[in-house]
Amino acid sequence: MLVSFAESIVDSSLTQWIQGTYWLWPVMEITHFIGLTLLLGGLIVIDLRMAGFMRSIDPATTHKLLPAVIFGFSLNLITGILFFYGDPMRYAINIGFQIKMVLVLIAGINAALYHFKVDPLLRTMDRNLASPIVAKLVAFTSLGAWTGVLLLGRLIPYVGTG
Amino acid sequence: MFVWLENSTVGMWVSSSLWAYPFLLSVHIVGLAIVVGLFSMRDLRLLGMFGTLPVNTFSNLGKLALAGFILNAISGLLLFTSQASIFVTSVPFLSKIVAITAGMILAHSIQKKLNDDISSSTRILASISIACWIAAIIGGRLIAYIF
Repeated sequence: MLVSFAESIVDSSLTQWIQGTYWLWPVMEITHFIGLTLLLGGLIVIDLRMAGFMRSIDPATTHKLLPAVIFGFSLNLITGILFFYGDPMRYAINIGFQIKMVLVLIAGINAALYHFKVDPLLRTMDRNLASPIVAKLVAFTSLGAWTGVLLLGRLIPYVGTG
Repeated sequence: MFVWLENSTVGMWVSSSLWAYPFLLSVHIVGLAIVVGLFSMRDLRLLGMFGTLPVNTFSNLGKLALAGFILNAISGLLLFTSQASIFVTSVPFLSKIVAITAGMILAHSIQKKLNDDISSSTRILASISIACWIAAIIGGRLIAYIF
């Protein structure tokens, strides 16, 4: 599926433009790195509080960081799509990229579960109590999945095809 | 001295082992996310973003940021040994080191000012700090492009 999509865009004008603009790749990489710091920086605070650390802070106030997280994710989604367009055949068959995308998907499902199921539950709870197990599970799944995304992303140039 | 470092046991291990270099790069990016992630959230909070989030959230997180820094100092030093004589003349690399040093000195001063009464001098420190970390990222990435 990924390969046939890659084949369909490999001759696109966007691919040719990205490959032909020599300064674009490093600029996209720098943007991708800034995006990841916004995404992870916000999530570390939100998830650690959700897991039960920093008990003196109202968990609801950590949610003020969400716009930074979403902005970081958007930057990386856009630059990520451009990376893929810039070298479709290389990414489509790269095992590091494939696992990274699965982890992004897991992180996304985890975030949706949190938003629709866990957050409404937590709002009714006394925040001075220990974090319920489901909150810890969501928090560590989030941090674990995104750490995996970082590791796999960095390994893309070094791992083979899958 | 830098050639000696490259030819040392550690330098040879990093450059010749199949997995050492990519492994260290992966560790380095996790550390980057912790250090720059937490410091940029702290600086943006000091500059007025994130409304009711208490500023002292980030005094609790100072130790974690420091742990991330130590992780990257170690992984960075090991990466450096593999191509020391190239890195030491690289303008992006040297700029990155200057930016990180400034960012860490600023972090030390800002750490003592993390309360909800934010002075204008703290705001100035926060804006210089965030510029330093962006510069460190730009420098780090350009090592691969500008020799």
